[in-house]
Amino acid sequence: MKMDVVITGVGGQGNIFASLVISQSAMNKNLNVLGAETIGAAQRGGSVVSHIRISDGTIYSPLISRGQADLLIGMEFVEMLRHIRLLNPKGTYLLNAMRIPTVLNNMGLDEYPANEEILEAARKYCPNGYVIEASALAKKLGNIQMTNVVMLGALVKIMPFFDYQEIKWLINANSPERFKEPNVQGFEEGYELIENK
Amino acid sequence: MKEKRYVMGDTAIARGALEAGVRVVAGYPGTPATEIVEECLGVPGVHVEWANNEKVAFELCTGASLCHVRAMPVMKHNGTNVVTDFLMHVNFTGIRGGLVLISADDPGGLSSQNEEDTRILVHQYAHLPVFDPCSPQEAKAMVKEAFDLSEKTELVFCLRPVTRVCHARGIIEFEDLPKELPAAHYEPDRERFIMSGVEVPKFGGLKRPQIRHRWLNEKQPLLQEIMEESPYNWIEKGKGKVGLVGCGMGYTLIKEAEQCLDQKLPLLKLGTLPLPRKKVREFVKSLEKVVIYEETEPFVEGLFKKIFHEEKIEVEVLGRSGFVPSDGELNLQMVLETIQKAAPGVKVNQPEVPTLDIHIPIRTRTQCVGCNYRGILNALKQTVRKYKGIVAGDIGCHDAGSFRPIELQSTIYCMGSSVPMASGMALAGINRPVFAFIGDSTFYHNGILGLMNAATNKINVNVILGENTVTAMTGFQPHPGTGVTLAGEKTTKVDVPKLAQSMGISYRVVNPYDIKQCREALEAAVKEEGPSLIVSSMPCYLLSTRRGQKVFEPREVVLNPERCNGCMICINDFGCPAISFNKQEKKVSIDPMICVGCALCVDVCKRGAIL
Repeated sequence: MKMDVVITGVGGQGNIFASLVISQSAMNKNLNVLGAETIGAAQRGGSVVSHIRISDGTIYSPLISRGQADLLIGMEFVEMLRHIRLLNPKGTYLLNAMRIPTVLNNMGLDEYPANEEILEAARKYCPNGYVIEASALAKKLGNIQMTNVVMLGALVKIMPFFDYQEIKWLINANSPERFKEPNVQGFEEGYELIENK
Repeated sequence: MKEKRYVMGDTAIARGALEAGVRVVAGYPGTPATEIVEECLGVPGVHVEWANNEKVAFELCTGASLCHVRAMPVMKHNGTNVVTDFLMHVNFTGIRGGLVLISADDPGGLSSQNEEDTRILVHQYAHLPVFDPCSPQEAKAMVKEAFDLSEKTELVFCLRPVTRVCHARGIIEFEDLPKELPAAHYEPDRERFIMSGVEVPKFGGLKRPQIRHRWLNEKQPLLQEIMEESPYNWIEKGKGKVGLVGCGMGYTLIKEAEQCLDQKLPLLKLGTLPLPRKKVREFVKSLEKVVIYEETEPFVEGLFKKIFHEEKIEVEVLGRSGFVPSDGELNLQMVLETIQKAAPGVKVNQPEVPTLDIHIPIRTRTQCVGCNYRGILNALKQTVRKYKGIVAGDIGCHDAGSFRPIELQSTIYCMGSSVPMASGMALAGINRPVFAFIGDSTFYHNGILGLMNAATNKINVNVILGENTVTAMTGFQPHPGTGVTLAGEKTTKVDVPKLAQSMGISYRVVNPYDIKQCREALEAAVKEEGPSLIVSSMPCYLLSTRRGQKVFEPREVVLNPERCNGCMICINDFGCPAISFNKQEKKVSIDPMICVGCALCVDVCKRGAIL
């Protein structure tokens, strides 16, 4: 078996935390894991992407190539679009309905496509997708930084590969003391965002 | 006891060094190598530090090595360039305690101001051995072995991990650390360790540099022999007359490509320099053509051509001299396309994916919302406009002021080059005020030398020191202006005003959250002859926030749409990500989700539309 996961977003949205939780859950199942992160200069409001490769066989490259990903987690509209071609059209995507305009968008020199236009393109590319208001919920819960744990909650609901109790435990274990409780709450509420299938 | 952990390649490298009994680790922060130093921290008896710059780190580690302890200087490729002078001496003297240089390359310049291949510098130019790992696991094993081999051969060994090794994460086995480290001792050996152009009686009066050069050359057959037996080079059998060669990460991409090919081609995996010559010969015995995948220059390709020329082997050699793209990071697509070109009989099965018919805006990084650099950059932008000034920039967070929309700095090269470049512009006689903008970590790295030069030679240059008291871009490493060590101990802190005084340079300390004060200081500096220093001093906003400290009193910032005439000065001269322009209404708006309430934009707006 193999599960290739791509997480895309803007620096500061908490990609790395989410990728660590996903990786550790696979490691706990005695599977091989190899991942790659964007760290450094790109952190400062730039485009960031994490690759997580999970397999019961040998994994060579930490990078996922065109059409290989089974799951694409988009923390932001345009950033998901930027890497959507890594996704296998038969895979699944989970998108946080959040727009973060670029510098050129702010200057009025570049167009940020309308949400409907982006969703249409995503639907055409891959029919199996979920779009949730994770940042809005995180903000309502008191901290937009909790977007990532809300997304993990939703993920557990749509991908049976990830175990509810285990991901919850890992979120708790990886959170600093003062964020443990709110992060677990964010995860639980994120789970409820997706209606039962 | 062995324990498996899911960690970054940098952590794996650090662990390898600690398991090998490293005693002194020193480096200068630089992506992707930074975490290697930090991950060595916390082991009793092991000294770990951030040095001012890479050359200092390397020299310090060599001093330790000459006392028979193991040491590891850590840097990114730019740092290895800085080290070159010392490297071209220590290669001649050799070392005592194992000395492993970590020189991390960043193919594609993912987080760098250039891309380069330090294998060439270390192996071709300095004639030293290099390991090129293909995974975090292999990097850890290589570091451990490099320490042993370094002692065995008395030579500096180099590990050259690329970004995809440093910042990959994998499952790594942690083994026990040595219980005891060997004791340090020193015996003079002036024939070795005094590098000087002096006559050596034992060699009939030949000069010492030539004798030491000969010593280094005579080490090469031993290195050759070691690499023939190395576990990091191997041959995988396959069908056909076209062979593939994978160096470091190139190997992993070939293995990925194999899963898309209908047949297995012969494969040579390489992880060492010098090359295992016999193995190369054996590999190509029944081949007509080889394609070499390496990061980033066609270096091994050149070595293959040399071997084939010397041994009269008629095999075509293809690789990154054009057959595979000569710039940027390797990827699976490049490998598949070039395999198909080199071996047209091989069938490639790759999932087809639909193309997208939608515009995707490019996202460039910026300074953080709330960053104090935005205040001083805005004041400088206004001053430059008023006096037709020119700004030479430097490395660090402030460099985002050179991108759109601010577009302030006109040049950015390497660490510390801003002040000398600005000095040259002033001396060229352009009759315009010239500024240099430099961050504090960069200043202590070697920017300070440019300032001293400007002082001595009375050059009319205005230097702005963005003092945020930390190396912010790479993740908040302390420097000589921070007042704490890497280990978190309190230490001395350079007093910049006193430094300026001792150089006889005028200086003004300003608060970057006060744009008016900054502008007045800048204007005063422009009107003054000779070098001037403006110290824009305020701790990094991001770090302070994480520590629960305030660098300004946050408040709600609102836009009065009645007064906004859409002049966009708050966007074009300030560039805060929270402010955007609405084309329909021809007015700006402030996103409360993004704004952190620093209120700098209130001073930027000339119409009083931001309150």
